[in-house]
Amino acid sequence: MSKAPGTFSPSFSMAELLVHALAIELEAVQSYEDLTQQMKQCGNDEVADLFEKMSVLEAEHAERIRQIAGDIELPELAPWEYRWPGLESPENIDLAGVHYLMTPYQALTLALENEMNAMAFFEAAANECTDDRVRSLAQEFADDERQHVAWMQDWLTKYTPPDADWDYDPDPPAAID
Amino acid sequence: MSTETPRKPRASDYKSDTKPVWCPGCGDFHVLLSLRKAVAQMGLRPEEIAVISGIGCSSRIPAYMNCYGFHGIHGRALPLATGVKVARPDLTVICAGGDGDGFSIGGNHLLHACRRNVDITYVVMDNEVYGMTKGQPSPTTAPDWDSKIAPGGTGISPFYPLVIALASGANFVARAFSGDPKGTAKILVDAITHPGFSFVQILSPCVTFRPDQREWKNQVHPAPVKPTSDASQAARRVMTDDGFNIGVLYKGSREPYQQYVGQENRLDRDIDKEFLL
Repeated sequence: MSKAPGTFSPSFSMAELLVHALAIELEAVQSYEDLTQQMKQCGNDEVADLFEKMSVLEAEHAERIRQIAGDIELPELAPWEYRWPGLESPENIDLAGVHYLMTPYQALTLALENEMNAMAFFEAAANECTDDRVRSLAQEFADDERQHVAWMQDWLTKYTPPDADWDYDPDPPAAID
Repeated sequence: MSTETPRKPRASDYKSDTKPVWCPGCGDFHVLLSLRKAVAQMGLRPEEIAVISGIGCSSRIPAYMNCYGFHGIHGRALPLATGVKVARPDLTVICAGGDGDGFSIGGNHLLHACRRNVDITYVVMDNEVYGMTKGQPSPTTAPDWDSKIAPGGTGISPFYPLVIALASGANFVARAFSGDPKGTAKILVDAITHPGFSFVQILSPCVTFRPDQREWKNQVHPAPVKPTSDASQAARRVMTDDGFNIGVLYKGSREPYQQYVGQENRLDRDIDKEFLL
């Protein structure tokens, strides 16, 4: 969905940056946990394991942000008050890319895309924020995400891209076929 | 006595122990998330909410919410929800289901629920297909949707949910998109807080039987106009709707149904007497 022009303005205060950073990680944890459960249910255990690892990774990142926030009082925002560049927080998996027969390579490609979105989000914040401490922390978060991007790229080399008929199901859900 | 302020509810507080069985990629996951976010934002406690549904994939939603719930029979979610609200006006009653359940099997109930204007919110997760029964065309399916079960399409003009809801007297009419969870949460909060019968159509892709709907995220767009309280203006707008406008169309000011209008102090104990065996 096209968003209204000018709605993404990452010029954050310290508390705003932290509340957005925490929301990114917590929503990613939730999203990966849900996907883990969905893939297990479909018997796609290899991809389920991968999503589970991602949820652990994001949970660790969320904990680190909590520690950085310490005693800073974070604002309570309504879901629609978060200033994301798109419709969702940057590390939420795009459900349109999810399939019950997806391969680890495809799952990692989606995860890589998320990490790149998060990196771009924090880089935008680092460029736009006027307070030096906020800029510095936004850059630190961007660097964390850059490291995650590198990990995803490395993991991807361990898998082969899917075959052309990756979504072939000998017993498809469309019983009417 | 504890002086600790209760913390604001979180969306995760409304997560039940039952795991969703929807297909991976189903839009209903996002609707569930948006609903949890909406009630958390409103600060409603689980025991203050009842989610009532009929039959179909999306109608499984009460099982996934940690609150009161009732998974009813096909097409009869609205009468059930009406009964719950009339009996327990203190509850926030949310009725939920799909396009087949709501517009075909339960189509007649929709008309009268809009007309009665009981203070409930009806959320229809519209994927233009009967997913649970393997992909038959539903009332909102385009006439030319070609499938093995309906080669060349049904050729039947689809049902226009917003037009019908508005014409039947719904007091709040809106459309949301599951792929926009924060926007959907906001529309749901608006719908739940608006008095009377609120109707929300949520475009929620069925990735299994309608993979073409993955494209909806590129087709939906914010409605270019603000909500109106003028029904005739809303009618003119909805007649030129492309089906992908997202936002609140209409916010009416009709008084919600009140149980005791026309009756003199009919107290609960009188009702008990009437039913005393």
